[in-house]
This record gives sequence, C-alpha cells and structure tokens, in this order.
Amino acid sequence: MRKQRQRDAVWKFLTYSFVIVMTLGMMVPLYWMMVAATLPQEEFLQFPPRLYPGTAFFDNLAVLHEETDFLISIWNSVFIAVVYTVLSVLLCSMAGFAFAKYEFRFKEPIFYTILATLILPIQLLVIPLFLMMSQIGWTDTFRAIIIPWLANPIGIFLMRQNMKSIPDALLESARMDGATEFQIFYRIALPAMRSSVAALAIILFLFQWDLFLYPLVILEDSANYTIPVALSGLEESRRVNFDQIMVASSLAIIPMAILFLILQKQFVSGILAGSLKE
Amino acid sequence: MATNSESRGWTRSELWDRFRTIRRRITATLPALSREQVAYVLISPFFIIFGIFLLFPVVYTVYLSFFEYQGIGDGTLFFIDLGPIFVQVPEIADLQFIGFGNYSRMLGDGLFWQAMFNTTYILVIQVPIMIGLALALAIALNAAFLRAKGVFRTAIALPVSANIVAYSTIFVILFNETGFINYLLATIGVEPIEWLRSEFWARKTIVTAVTWRWTGYNMIILLAGLQTIPQQLYEAAEIDGANRWQKFRYVTLPQLRPVLLFVVVLSTIGTFKLFAEPYVITGGGPTNATITIVQYIYREAFVGSPNLGYASALTVVFVAIVSVISIAQIKLGGDE
Repeated sequence: MRKQRQRDAVWKFLTYSFVIVMTLGMMVPLYWMMVAATLPQEEFLQFPPRLYPGTAFFDNLAVLHEETDFLISIWNSVFIAVVYTVLSVLLCSMAGFAFAKYEFRFKEPIFYTILATLILPIQLLVIPLFLMMSQIGWTDTFRAIIIPWLANPIGIFLMRQNMKSIPDALLESARMDGATEFQIFYRIALPAMRSSVAALAIILFLFQWDLFLYPLVILEDSANYTIPVALSGLEESRRVNFDQIMVASSLAIIPMAILFLILQKQFVSGILAGSLKE
Repeated sequence: MATNSESRGWTRSELWDRFRTIRRRITATLPALSREQVAYVLISPFFIIFGIFLLFPVVYTVYLSFFEYQGIGDGTLFFIDLGPIFVQVPEIADLQFIGFGNYSRMLGDGLFWQAMFNTTYILVIQVPIMIGLALALAIALNAAFLRAKGVFRTAIALPVSANIVAYSTIFVILFNETGFINYLLATIGVEPIEWLRSEFWARKTIVTAVTWRWTGYNMIILLAGLQTIPQQLYEAAEIDGANRWQKFRYVTLPQLRPVLLFVVVLSTIGTFKLFAEPYVITGGGPTNATITIVQYIYREAFVGSPNLGYASALTVVFVAIVSVISIAQIKLGGDE
C-alpha cells in the first residue's frame, strides 16, 4: 500500500514536470518575441542576450512605420479576413441549409463532388488561379484574395451536418404561419445554428488570416500586402532590423492571442468541428 | 450614417420602417418559387464560385501539366454574341502541347528528388514527435489529480492562434547564431550550433518550429477524444488489476484509435504541404537542404522564368502522393 502511494507520488511529480516544461517551452518563443520587440538595436545584438524587456518598443514601432507599410498590412489583413468570413459563412450556411432541408435534382452528386474536394490541398489551386486572375485583371486586388475561397467545402459540410438537427416540424409550422422560405432560413435556421456559425466563423477567419502562398503570388504593391506577405518581405528588404521585425510579429500575434484567450471555447469547438470532416 | 440621418430629420425607427416597406414591396414583386427552386437559389452562389474557382482550376491544373507555358494568353477562347449582350472569354494562357514531357522531366530532375527527400525526412521525424507529445499532454491534462488544468491547456494551445509567418520569424531570431537557444546551450556548456547554416540542424529547426505551432492543436483534438472514453472501462480494468501501462495499452489506445488516426493523417498531410516555415526560416537552404515540394513548385512557377506547365505537373504528382498517403493511413489503421 505504501509502495503504491509512493509510486503515485512519483507519477504525479513526473506528470507535473512534463506539463510545466512543455508549457514553458510554448511560452519561450512568445516571451522572447516580446522582449526582442522592446530592445534597441545595440542591446538586441549583444551576447549574452538581455532576457528582460527594454523600453524601445515605441521607437521600434516608429521605425517600422516609417520604413515599411506594415501597419497598413494589419488593416488589410483584418479587412480581408472579416469580409471573407461574413460572406463565406453566409454562402456556406445558405447552401448547407438547402442540402440539409430540401429535396432537389442532382442533390447527391453535387454534394459528393463538393465533398471530394475536401482532401485537395489548396496549393493545388495557386497556379490556375494566378493565371485566371492575371487574365481578368484582378491581380493585386483584395477581391482576388477573398472571392475564390468563399465556397469552402468544410463550411458547407459543417453547416449541412448541423442544420440536419433542426426539427422539420419547426420549419413546417413557420410555413403554416406564412413565412417565406428565405425568412425561414434567416429567422429560424441561422439563429438556431448560432454556435455552429461561431465555430465556422473562427475556422474561416483563421484560414484567411494564415493564407500565405496565394496572396504572396497575387499581391504586388506593398500597400496591398496582408500580414504574412508583408512579414516575409521584411527580412529581405533590409530596411528594418530584427527588433523591428519582432514588433511586427508581436502586432500580428498578440491581438490574435488575446482573441484566443477570450474566445477559447469557440476556438476549441472550431478546431473540433474542423476535425470532424472525416 | 447617424449624422446623415439626423441632418435629414429621420429618426432611426422611421428609417427602419421605410426600409421594411421597401423590402415588402420588393418581396411582393418576386415570383413565388417552388421549394425546389428555392433550394437552387440557396445553393447557386456557393456552387457558382465553387465551379469557377475550385472545380475548374483543379481540372485546368491537370490539363496544364501536359503543356509548356509560353506566356499569358492573348487570343479568344470563345465568345457569345447575342446582339446587345456580347461575352468574350479570353484564352487563359498561350500553351504548347508536349504530352508527358513535364512528367518525364521530373524523373531526371535532381532538385525535385531533393525536395521529395527533404519533405519526407522532415515528415518522418516531425509527425511522430508531435503526435507523441500531443498524446502525452492530452493524457496528462486528462488526469484527475492535475490542478490548474485550464491554465496549462490554454498556454499549450496558445500557438494555435499564431500567424504562420509571424511565428516563423520568431524562430529565425530564436535559432540565430547569437540567439536565445544558443545562449541557453552556452549556459550548460554546449558550443553554439549553426542552426540555420548546417544541413542537419536546419531541418531540426524546421521540425521544432512546426512542432511548436501544431502540438497544442492536436492536443485539443486528442483531449476531446479521451473525454469520450467511458470511465467504466478504466474501472473494469482496475478491478482486473491492470497497471497504468496496461490501462493505456488495452483501454486508451484502442478506444482512441479513430481520433489518433485522424490526427496522424491530418498532421502528415499538413507537414507534407509545408511551405511558409522553410520559406521564412531557411529560405530552403542551406544548399537546398530544407526546400520542400510546395516550395519547389512555387519556385518553378513564380520565381525566375515561369514554368507553369512543369509546376502543374509537380502539383499533380504532389496531390497524388497526398491522396495516397491519406488513403493508405486510413486503410492501415482502419482494420482490426
């Protein structure tokens, strides 16, 4: 019995040590980013490095703003991701509702065609989309970044699965009360799907927020860059130093991290919903 | 908006009423649709965009892979002339048919094989480490005795929200020769390592970065899987005298199998698609030691002279491999 208790104590100790070490490991890069963002250039380069924050954050921010269009990129990214998310949620839930609650010809083949594209890696589309965008003159525009991804197969699949759970009797009684089909969609179906819509919105927002290869190919003018494209160019441009790049990284990461802390439940359900696609 | 409406003397509710009246009038003029027609109206915006920007490009990539790209098209593919309505669809690209030329070129292309090797190498090391860590963390966070679960879970999952390129730039300075990692090593008496300049260590840096970003993500999925395992199974195993390892081996693993399989497939595909991390952290170097397949496709298509036909052929092969991997993993893990 005593031996068992000792063994339990050792196990607990090991578990705690492991979890704490991993937690620290996850925090180190973020902490280091914030420290580096606050150091003036000469302190940044010294070895051994300074391990606690300095006071040069706003100086670095000013240099970053003067030398690059990075602050505009933040606005571009937010604008693109928000517009994309709203439109795509609407499109996906409309179509998902139709697939869940209506009968129409070719319903099954259309749905399975959409489903089959789920396994395709999106990099596949970059080359043809680049050619199409060049041909219709959409290169270097936000609509070229937003529109092609609006029809998101994960979105339609999620919304169809969840909208199936809306009781038919509810829709039927709304029809009896004289509601049109579209009113049924946005007065009954959409509000009933609030938590799925939130999860989908997070999936779509993060998808667009992290999109890199495609905007890298499509966007040319640095005033149109999204955050990932702008950041990837900072190092090569040699107009700013690493401490200023870390200011840029902080600006890209910290607001999203705060959003994650506030909306953790929705993030988690978004991740799990996205993972249900198999 | 608000100032505008006030200046005209409209109150908000009046505006709202007006909007409703207009809407009602518009609705009244619309023809009554049957339910099937409503369904078509509901799916058409999605399906039109899906067809133009997803389905067509997929087919077009395969088509393109049999051609050599000569430049952007200037001819007309077809036009529709209906008097007042004139629609002209331009030719997308100027192409020359070369049959399987692009595919046979791949066989003798050293850099393609190098990219395949690099990607596989990173994959084979990274995925098991990450899944192992994620599983261990999920089990630890699922343990009844652990306090402050929420804090640990949040901290470990936080990288999920990190922008791909932003976190990659952090790893560049962390693993710099005078960076924090070498400083840590120096404190325990290890010589500084050229993380980004040696072939061996550059790959390890990429592995570390990807693992940092995605471990928490996989942990969340595995944790949800663990929580669906019925507690009675563990109790029954305990009555049978099972120890910790046996409970893991005979209860947790079999019960978690589908979730685990899913996570492995997802991570394998994710790492196979690697692009941003090597692009930012190592630029594919040193001497192409970390160039990945997607990065090679990007270079062929968009850096220097655009070999879009060849890049399309590479893409077709890449997608075929991704599909085979996921089907094989599902087949292998599915039986029993």
